[in-house]
Amino acid sequence: MSRWQYFLRRVLMSIPVVIFGTTITFALIRLGPLDPVSAILGTQYNPQAAEQIRTNLGLNQPLWSQYLDFMYELFTFQLGQSWVIAPGTTAYELIEIYAPRTIWLGFWSVVIALFVGIPLGFYAGLNPNTPSDYAASFGGIVWRAMPNFWLAIMLVTALSQLGTWTNGLFTWQTWIVRTNVVTPPALGFFQSPVEQFLADPGGWTESFIRATKQIAPAALVLGSASMGNEMRIGRTAVLETINSNYVETARAKGVSGRSLVWKHIFRNALIPLVPIITGEAFLLLGGSVFVETVFAINGLGWLFFNAAINGDLPLIGTLMFIFILILVGTNILQDFLYTIIDPRVGYDG
Amino acid sequence: MSTTTETEIPLRQRVAENPQPALIWAAVGAVLIGVELGAILQVVGAVAGVVVNLIPGDPGASAVQSLQAAFDAIPTLVSRDVIPNQGYWDGTGYENTFLGLSPAVAWAIRVVFVYAYAFAVLAWAWNGYKRFRRHYRRVDWTPRDDVVNRFRGHSWGKFGLIIVITFVVMAVFAPALGPTTMEQNILQPYDYEVSYWSEDTQSVETVLVGEANLGSGSQGAGDENVAPMTYDDFGRFHPFGTATNGKDLFTQVVFGARISLTIAVVAMGIAGLIGLGLAMITAYYKGLADLATVLVSDSIQALPVIMVLILMLVIFQNTWVRELYDGAVLIILIFSIVYWPFIWRSIRGPALQVSEQDWIDAAKSFGQTPTQVMRKHMAPYVFSYMLIYASLSLGGIIISVAGLSYLGLGITAPTPEWGRLIANGQQYVASPSWHISLVPGLLITLVVTGLNAFGDGIRDAIDPQADTGDEAAATGGGA
Repeated sequence: MSRWQYFLRRVLMSIPVVIFGTTITFALIRLGPLDPVSAILGTQYNPQAAEQIRTNLGLNQPLWSQYLDFMYELFTFQLGQSWVIAPGTTAYELIEIYAPRTIWLGFWSVVIALFVGIPLGFYAGLNPNTPSDYAASFGGIVWRAMPNFWLAIMLVTALSQLGTWTNGLFTWQTWIVRTNVVTPPALGFFQSPVEQFLADPGGWTESFIRATKQIAPAALVLGSASMGNEMRIGRTAVLETINSNYVETARAKGVSGRSLVWKHIFRNALIPLVPIITGEAFLLLGGSVFVETVFAINGLGWLFFNAAINGDLPLIGTLMFIFILILVGTNILQDFLYTIIDPRVGYDG
Repeated sequence: MSTTTETEIPLRQRVAENPQPALIWAAVGAVLIGVELGAILQVVGAVAGVVVNLIPGDPGASAVQSLQAAFDAIPTLVSRDVIPNQGYWDGTGYENTFLGLSPAVAWAIRVVFVYAYAFAVLAWAWNGYKRFRRHYRRVDWTPRDDVVNRFRGHSWGKFGLIIVITFVVMAVFAPALGPTTMEQNILQPYDYEVSYWSEDTQSVETVLVGEANLGSGSQGAGDENVAPMTYDDFGRFHPFGTATNGKDLFTQVVFGARISLTIAVVAMGIAGLIGLGLAMITAYYKGLADLATVLVSDSIQALPVIMVLILMLVIFQNTWVRELYDGAVLIILIFSIVYWPFIWRSIRGPALQVSEQDWIDAAKSFGQTPTQVMRKHMAPYVFSYMLIYASLSLGGIIISVAGLSYLGLGITAPTPEWGRLIANGQQYVASPSWHISLVPGLLITLVVTGLNAFGDGIRDAIDPQADTGDEAAATGGGA
């Protein structure tokens, strides 16, 4: 089997996975002990309104037809609307409002994790068993073990108190641009970036910097687990590559140190990092609930959490479907990267 | 191989031939268990009580109750009664504390005692293994010896082991470790009284625990704070200070350790059983069974774990399952359902490899049933891989449970939980009452670091050539 056939098989395999995952969500929402209608109405329960919602949601149809409707609507991207937290707003509008903040947060947490974790890990791997290796490794392990929500609380406190601690010499709020510590990022500059930039380059750059600074602490926390993982795996990968035969050969041939590191070690050490990087999608989606809650960034995680505790079950079903699509998409991306980078991987998988 | 090692002498006979090492070991064990017999019987009594409660009609409830009372009366070495710390100052000296020492010192002595006892028991168990290996084992060497030796040479793993033991002892001996009891300080504070030395009247007075708690909360500055390692206004010692409502933080932390450990271990145990069972079936029968399991496990793995946990906790919020052990039972069930695919994935490869071995064919042709083949010839080879994965996942579960409790969805009051303590002190991190959030968070970090280190040690000991790629997924719940 060629590797592209293998890749194609993985892609086909993901179709039943999406269907099955969505079915599990359906089962939880419609067959679970929580009645969607009473969850929506909460304390204002009255039979008339209940009947109205029941008809609207199609809940008085037989179960199999409910299931078919549910699946059909999701898979044709008729995503329905919110019933409790923003009654009448369609899921599309909600996602349009909330998703950019999460994407912005996710983007920076991946970037920060990559640009801190991998260099540190490679540095530790290139200087194994030195004090700096131990310091970096131990730091990475502890960093990874810290619960996101707790780290977020501590960071918020530290940033808010910086002014008091340094006697007003340095305050986070006034550093470079004025921002609050706990705030959703202002992403207006993304609406039509090119035109805005051309119209007012200085202002656009400032809002870009502001939004980045607003998201940076949250992104640092959210990326903490991945950063630790990347460091660890990066270190091991470098250690393994450095001791492999082809590196010995290259060294014996007289390849210079720099070219050895960049051409022979770095590229090959990146391979085991691929699943770590794509696996971040899972950490980021789950972690976003906590980090967004502490940093008051009202993004998708926050939306999901609030929809859940307020019993907005139809919206939850939709969000869950989207999360499944994101995660399955990331898995396909991972297989795709593997197929390109490493021709040896996984024919028999 | 000499003839003596090949003949099957039962262990009993081997011990009878050279009884001395076994006798010494058994005698030490009898002393160690004897001094704690009361506590062990109390646990038995408590379990019996739960069982009786579950049976409809409660047969023999009174018998169990009298049994429990009898067990409670047996004195034990490591207990609050032997080294009491809840005394009071009567103007000239401490009353009702151990040797008249201050409550802080008495408490510290008890903690040292508990840990000394726990480590003595562990040393005794380890010594028993060594004696068995030296004097009674039929063979001089087994592959497991290498595993043990590799772990003994793994200092990072040993560091993890020590932290894990400390954590487990904290959970097991929670009632004896706290400066006060769960019942008195947290569950029924208005049913108990404490005596204290009142500066105003220069005499010993009594106050309800609940009222004393109200007067010793940590809510920020000045009077409203009881810092770690200090006494409150009622002469009660608080090793970790108090929570915002004046309840003792240390007591909550040790009982929180108990619930975290229970959830992590039981959930991982159930998930491991499901994963192992399915791995056996899929490796033995292959084909359709394997494909179906791949599909189901991929689908479950494609769900965002934290979101599913939140959703399920919301859906089951008003049901009887949610009430059991303040939500712990439900959380355990959810974690088992969500985690088994990860375990199954991690051992599917080794299981398939084992199923291709010649000895499996041999066992089949000898007429052994599929269950026998799976249990005797396949499972033992896969088990160690499962152990690696499970030990690396425990930390992730502890963090996730704390995170859910922080959001107010996990373990509900009155059972203490570390994540809820963090939420409790969140607004006071920048104030003098920083300890409420900081201490549980640091403990989680320490325990998870220890568990990961221990897992690394186990991995390197069991499988020195292990691929390091899988574990990242294991450790992250993302909370």
